[in-house]
Amino acid sequence: MRKFVTFLLCTVLAITQLAAQTRTLKGKVTDAKNNPVANASVVVKGNAAGATTDAAGNFSISVPSTAKTLVITSLNFASQEIAIGNKTSFAVSLVSTALDLQEVVVVGYGTKKKSDLTGSISTIKGSEVENVPFSSVDKALQGKVAGLQSVAASGQPGASQNIVIRGISSINGSSNPLWVIDGIPVNTGDASRLQTTANLLSTLNPNDIESISVLKDAASQSIYGSRAANGVIVVTTKKGKAGKTKFKFDTEMGQSEVAYQNSKYRPLTAQQYIDITREGLLNFPYSQATTDAQLTSLGNGSGVDFSWLDNVTRKGTQQQYNLSAEGGNDKTTFYLSGGQFIQEGTTINSKLTRTNGNIRITNKATDKLTLGFNLNGGVVNQRAPLAGGAFGNPVLSSFFILPTRSAYNTDGTYNFTNLGGLHNTIALTDMDKRYLREISLRGSFNAEYKIFDNLKFKTNYGVDYNSLEEDQYNNPLHGDGAASNGRAFSYYTRYFNWVWTNTLDLQQNITRGGDLSFNAQIGYEAQKSAAYFSSLQAQQFPPTIALTYPASGASPTTASATISEFSFASQFASGAINYKNRYVVSGSFRRDGSSKFSANNKFGNFYSVGATWNVEKEKFMENVRFITQLKLRSSYGVNGSNTAIGNYDSPPLYSFGSNYNQLPGSAPANVGDPNLTWELNKPFNVGIDVSILKNRISFTAEYYNRTSESLLLSVPLSRTSGFASATRNIGTMENKGIEFAINIVPVQTKNLRWDIDFNFANNKNKILTLPGGLDILNGSFILREGVAINTFYLRDWYGVDATNGDPLWYKDNTHNSAATTNIYPGVDARVLAGSAQPKYFGSLTNSITFKGFTVSAQFYYNYGNVVYDSWGSYYLGSGFGATYNKVARQLDRWQKAGDVTDIPKYVYGGNKNFSNSSTFYLNQGDFVRLREFQLGYNLPKSLLAKANISNVNFYVRGTNLFTWVKDKNMPFDPEQGTGSATNLNVFIPKTVTVGLNIAF
Amino acid sequence: MRRILKFNLLLIIVLLVTFTSCKKSFIEINSPTSLVPDVALGTEADLLVALRGAYAGLRGVDFYGRTLPVLGDLMADNAYQSTLNTNRYTFYNNYSNTIGATAADANAAGMWATAYTTILRANNIINSTVPTTVNVSQYKGEAYAIRALCYFALVRHFAKPYAEDPAALGVPIITKYNPDLKPARNKVSEVYTLMIDDLNNAYTLMTKFTNSSQFSKYAAKGLQAKVYQNMGDKTNAKTAALDVINNSGFTALTAAAHAAYWTSITFRTDKVETLFEVSSDAVANLAFDELSYLYSQSGNYGDLLCSDALYALFAAADVRKALYATGTRAGLPSVFVNKYPAISGDPSDTKVLRFSEMYLIAAESSLPTNEVDALTYVNLLTSKRGANPIVSTGTALFEDIITERRKELAFEGDRFHDLQRLKRDIARSANYPAAAQAIPYTVTRRLLPIPQVEIDANPAIKPQQNAGY
Repeated sequence: MRKFVTFLLCTVLAITQLAAQTRTLKGKVTDAKNNPVANASVVVKGNAAGATTDAAGNFSISVPSTAKTLVITSLNFASQEIAIGNKTSFAVSLVSTALDLQEVVVVGYGTKKKSDLTGSISTIKGSEVENVPFSSVDKALQGKVAGLQSVAASGQPGASQNIVIRGISSINGSSNPLWVIDGIPVNTGDASRLQTTANLLSTLNPNDIESISVLKDAASQSIYGSRAANGVIVVTTKKGKAGKTKFKFDTEMGQSEVAYQNSKYRPLTAQQYIDITREGLLNFPYSQATTDAQLTSLGNGSGVDFSWLDNVTRKGTQQQYNLSAEGGNDKTTFYLSGGQFIQEGTTINSKLTRTNGNIRITNKATDKLTLGFNLNGGVVNQRAPLAGGAFGNPVLSSFFILPTRSAYNTDGTYNFTNLGGLHNTIALTDMDKRYLREISLRGSFNAEYKIFDNLKFKTNYGVDYNSLEEDQYNNPLHGDGAASNGRAFSYYTRYFNWVWTNTLDLQQNITRGGDLSFNAQIGYEAQKSAAYFSSLQAQQFPPTIALTYPASGASPTTASATISEFSFASQFASGAINYKNRYVVSGSFRRDGSSKFSANNKFGNFYSVGATWNVEKEKFMENVRFITQLKLRSSYGVNGSNTAIGNYDSPPLYSFGSNYNQLPGSAPANVGDPNLTWELNKPFNVGIDVSILKNRISFTAEYYNRTSESLLLSVPLSRTSGFASATRNIGTMENKGIEFAINIVPVQTKNLRWDIDFNFANNKNKILTLPGGLDILNGSFILREGVAINTFYLRDWYGVDATNGDPLWYKDNTHNSAATTNIYPGVDARVLAGSAQPKYFGSLTNSITFKGFTVSAQFYYNYGNVVYDSWGSYYLGSGFGATYNKVARQLDRWQKAGDVTDIPKYVYGGNKNFSNSSTFYLNQGDFVRLREFQLGYNLPKSLLAKANISNVNFYVRGTNLFTWVKDKNMPFDPEQGTGSATNLNVFIPKTVTVGLNIAF
Repeated sequence: MRRILKFNLLLIIVLLVTFTSCKKSFIEINSPTSLVPDVALGTEADLLVALRGAYAGLRGVDFYGRTLPVLGDLMADNAYQSTLNTNRYTFYNNYSNTIGATAADANAAGMWATAYTTILRANNIINSTVPTTVNVSQYKGEAYAIRALCYFALVRHFAKPYAEDPAALGVPIITKYNPDLKPARNKVSEVYTLMIDDLNNAYTLMTKFTNSSQFSKYAAKGLQAKVYQNMGDKTNAKTAALDVINNSGFTALTAAAHAAYWTSITFRTDKVETLFEVSSDAVANLAFDELSYLYSQSGNYGDLLCSDALYALFAAADVRKALYATGTRAGLPSVFVNKYPAISGDPSDTKVLRFSEMYLIAAESSLPTNEVDALTYVNLLTSKRGANPIVSTGTALFEDIITERRKELAFEGDRFHDLQRLKRDIARSANYPAAAQAIPYTVTRRLLPIPQVEIDANPAIKPQQNAGY
């Protein structure tokens, strides 16, 4: 052996001496999968001379004759040394050290090899949410993850999105998951106090996201303890890679309009309204004289026919620009980015502008110490109209204001008269102001120290800062401000949330060969979130619309400020034992103490256990070639949710503010409970991951069953106590479901690849126990043992009496068509009328890449829920709210004996109690929509190489381009939040955009 | 090795700092805006603050803030809903059995909830163990009067009139805080007994007059006169009314001051006319939900109008006629109500009890035995209004006094309760929908429903719903 080496050495020496003084070496650097590695540094050992690889991984380097070894380095790969010898051409394959998403998954407080996972985690790559025309990342998650339901309630840019993972497990709490961004459990949700909505996540630029992990079961969640029950979404932002500085520029432009409209719900024209109102007045019966007088007062003969809907809706524009730069050397890497996003809503007075910046710097101070800093900031300016029943809501006015009333006078000025007490929202868009300015900063300073090769200490101090300035001005001339001669509000809200996390990570082989190994982590975390609220209002403004801030108001009427805080102190530990990568057993534990919990229950313990069997690693599978992965895993644990507890809910309290004659007054504020504590969640999960035919078919299926206990419920009290309800830890609920996700690659050739992704989720929710086993009414919903949460509980609509046009309901709750009544039945006639939650939902995505072209289409489907039309009684109440406009479906009313229709006789003021809530106003919520469609083209690399550009991509993208709704009577978009009730919100948009991405 | 030692030291310090910074106080945070009851009600001064909270409870939109004074005239024959309306209180205007209020009616539920919320506030003051002083007694006295006022509102709207059946179902009597109690309805007579007792306590305990927006000794006595009147106890009603007239130091509103009285937006400290009113101020008010918004034609609502029948009762020289203006609404000639003109800034307050009513109670209670007194007292009022003096006798005199009540107390929420206690049918003018012009005494919807939420939460009251719901 030694002889051979000596021989080789001599040969090499001889050859190099024979060679010329300098020479050119060429080569290609690839990764393990033969993909080119761009920007890898290629240098001669001991010499500064070097080159970098191009986009195709090729390099060319002139080396002195004395050069013996090439060193090839690239971030996220192990550096490799290659003897030059007499070769002039090299094929270098680098071994990855990076957190390759295929192999490594971001989990709570770290990362894990995929084979080590015992839990249920879905990951989304940053590229999947890049350049999307959505104002926040939560909106981009729809359809991406099996079992994650993401539903919009409003098309307002910047509106909150409802996210439910594996069913609703809290009755009074939010179902929104915990978001952890770069290690910080951040404040999320709707932080608006004056505006209709302020989604804190809208300040985060989706383009800055590297990966998203959705933690769905105990093994993955429980490390987050008392906040994990709704699932955890772990977001990691982008990091720089060493090498030549790379730039990336993305831009997109387009337009949005209302995604779904139903012609049956078009507001009536002037003539239609007058005709049906005449009919209603005579049906009442009013005399002909009164009828004529009333019709005149409603605008008959005015000659006006104004469509408020057409004038309130519009095409919105949409644009975004993003620029990023990354690079560095083997000591320090950086990532910088900036972006702007502008989106107009589909109605007037609706817009969002976001400006973003992001910095991340990582420095290897020594071999053992790595320091990191990152700061991600966003500024959002948002303009949103009022929603729901507010007179200033443009959507309300488009259905309520009579078509006989124009927004304009004949001379072009705004009309303020004869609007039936409603407001000219078109005028108010100019004259009133509703603004939100949101500033968010999320950043952290962290350090990692390798104590030994297998033991490292990490510390991370993170800050999550959000401030909101909400301004509203109601002019003194018309609208909400008129009564107080103008009014203006300025609300300031600030959330400062800091988290300090310290962890120790140990990786240890138990047996010498590493067949049996374990890893463990212990940690300590302290967190405090401090909110600050300041509110002021002034009234009595000068008679102009130019002075819009409270400073100009003569009469200050609100001057208030307060704080709201919570804190957590937690210890946690997790570990896993791995035998030959075949068997892994994991466990986690967390002890949370929180200021939110009552004195009697200050600390809670949460844990999980999990196990996995990687069958494909077994000896007996060696010959089963067509299976690349076969993994069985299961987990169980306990975690919690505290979203239903306010910061100060536990003690009985007297609050101040029931003032009298502007002197302080106090009043009991809550019942209180000295035992108030978190809600418990006990998820069991079993899953299988299969990958066959060289990953051409990958399949994941899971079954889960989670029981939620100690649910915080508003236990209704007798109102005679002075309180409507008391919050108690009482009640249990379960969510059972199956999920599967399948990826098929039917075609995979050099130039063509076709991917089909399908996911499906079914969740069955059931309330198991309630206090005393008694029903609890929750708005239109009922909470009843054995019934799913958010089940509508309404009078059972039968139809219209063909003989006289009366509305008919079932007399009782037996759905017996022999017993109907035209008298609105009593409460005992209410029936379970369907759930707001879908039975199943998911998506189907097809993507085809052919040479430079890509086309992809994602269909999202939702089945089995019902949607309640909250305001239907006004525009479809057969005369109820007679002085408001009606919709076209009202024209189907009964008119004469024998008419068979589902709309009762039109009677001015209302026909019986038809307008009262009943199943008439419920619609089937089933829909399929083309959530995303994209057609893109990548310019050929050969063309770009000369211009030193690594990638150029053009695309056209559409979202919500097409919506199919099963129920032909669905009034508005089928997406109406998890509460599944319409609220005259800004219409959900469909957008068409064109985009360009350049990397160089 | 040294480096490792150095590092370990650092680690220990870091861990120590984290652990010590997270001692238990770190996770104990008190509310910045609220206090636990023991602290909030700890001293005499605290009781005054809590007392204001009780008064503020009366201002609730479904209580004296709006619904109570509205229903007292709309369910009767004084106020009607214009065909051009914002759909508030339609059910009470239309009264029909098909388009009727249901047990889920929000106004009824709101009234029930607000009354008991206010009763709790009063109870906590009444039951306070803060050592007795003159002030503590005063506050407790006012709280007794507030509690009586709440029960008076409840028992008259949710229960049959005392005059029909004192043993009928009244409303649950709550005098102590117990959130878990599921009480059944007490008898009407028991509720009246409680009110009389509370008002006796109030009368005994109170020594001060603060202003018209707070109860005083004689305001409590005036309320007691009205309670006795509802019980048909003429002797006690008269005694109480005369106690106010003769001893309170209050003076009646004169014709000359009449117009200014109704445009005034502030409470009074001069003991003129207002025995008790519920105050709204420029900061704490109901904004668009103010009572004045429903009557005033200057805002967006102005739904409620004065019935032609009532308007016709005023003689030309009657200063009260000036409170009503004629005009057109929804294309129809209409009479507008200007009793509550202030809709912005500091809105008009709700008058609950006025000195002039004491004349009316004294007059009515003098009948049928003492017509001389009756005429004397009722004309003490007519003479101050520019109205024609009443000269009738017998039942005509009684009717004239009731009519005088209607004219004097119109739109103050009184008329309906007169018709209830007298067990009268309601004959409404042509302003009302044809189907709702005759409301016989037997119409069950003259009583409000026990709210559905109460029925749902309280098994004891479930079988005790009022008829017709």
